[in-house]
Amino acid sequence: MKIRRPGAAGRMQPPMTPMIDAVFQLLIFFLLTPAFSLTEGFLTTNLPTTSGPVAGKEQKLVQRIKIELYNVGQSGEFEDGGKNEFVSIVFNETQNLGANFDALRAALEEKRAQGLAANTPVLISPTMGCRHKWVVRAFDAAVASRFTEIQFAVPYQ
Amino acid sequence: MKHRKPTGVGAVGANMTPMIDMVFNLLIFFILTSQFAQLETEEVRLPLSTTATNKDYTEFRNVVINIVERDGAGEIIVFRRPFTPPELTEFLIEAKEKAEGHPMNVILRADAEVPYEDVARVMLATGKAQIQGWWITTEIEKKDELRGGM
Repeated sequence: MKIRRPGAAGRMQPPMTPMIDAVFQLLIFFLLTPAFSLTEGFLTTNLPTTSGPVAGKEQKLVQRIKIELYNVGQSGEFEDGGKNEFVSIVFNETQNLGANFDALRAALEEKRAQGLAANTPVLISPTMGCRHKWVVRAFDAAVASRFTEIQFAVPYQ
Repeated sequence: MKHRKPTGVGAVGANMTPMIDMVFNLLIFFILTSQFAQLETEEVRLPLSTTATNKDYTEFRNVVINIVERDGAGEIIVFRRPFTPPELTEFLIEAKEKAEGHPMNVILRADAEVPYEDVARVMLATGKAQIQGWWITTEIEKKDELRGGM
């Protein structure tokens, strides 16, 4: 009978293959998971440091653009959970643009073409029930038209 | 001269140890970072935007404020805890004191369907804490994917 001497080659080792398989699976999962957040981005702006109008301060007459957003509610929900509601856009208190954000962008770009400076304040004034997604759409249109001073109307408290 | 016959026992194999070390390090890193991210963010349906960009937020001290939709209204959640607007102002003032002069940002993650009223409340609470940086998180939408012509 041939007896093997315990040596380096004949040492008992736990099977590494399943462990490496499992570790690689986990690694691939955690590598891919943060990739979902790469589809997220930011719209950046600055809030004023004082809230509400300041008493006694001289108000300068500044030309500004006003975008009013009204929610037009209907009953029911879409299959994806989105509300069956629409928005009505009023541009500069005169033009009713319906729910057309492309028309809003065109109107803003027209103002820029007429020579309005990029730092002209654009005030977005949504009704309290207006959905956040419509406010973001209006913000988007103002950014796309290269306006830099975008303001939000908030209820005075 | 003595020649060795190649056998199965003496076959040349790749050294697995450094590779396994590396893989474990990467694994630990991704497990830890994903847990930190999950603590701050809630599952919300973000609004779509064509002009939002991936900006570097690491140079700021950020507070992530989630507004999740519950039965048509918004609920403010920070670090997995619900907040009222006055509580949020207190929390932000405290966070600002801890930042010791570093520029601060509020990163808003609001559900697309929450009413503007709830966003305005958070905006006012942020303003009261004298924090100016206001970043709205959106889902980046490519122009050719615009839905519904809205």
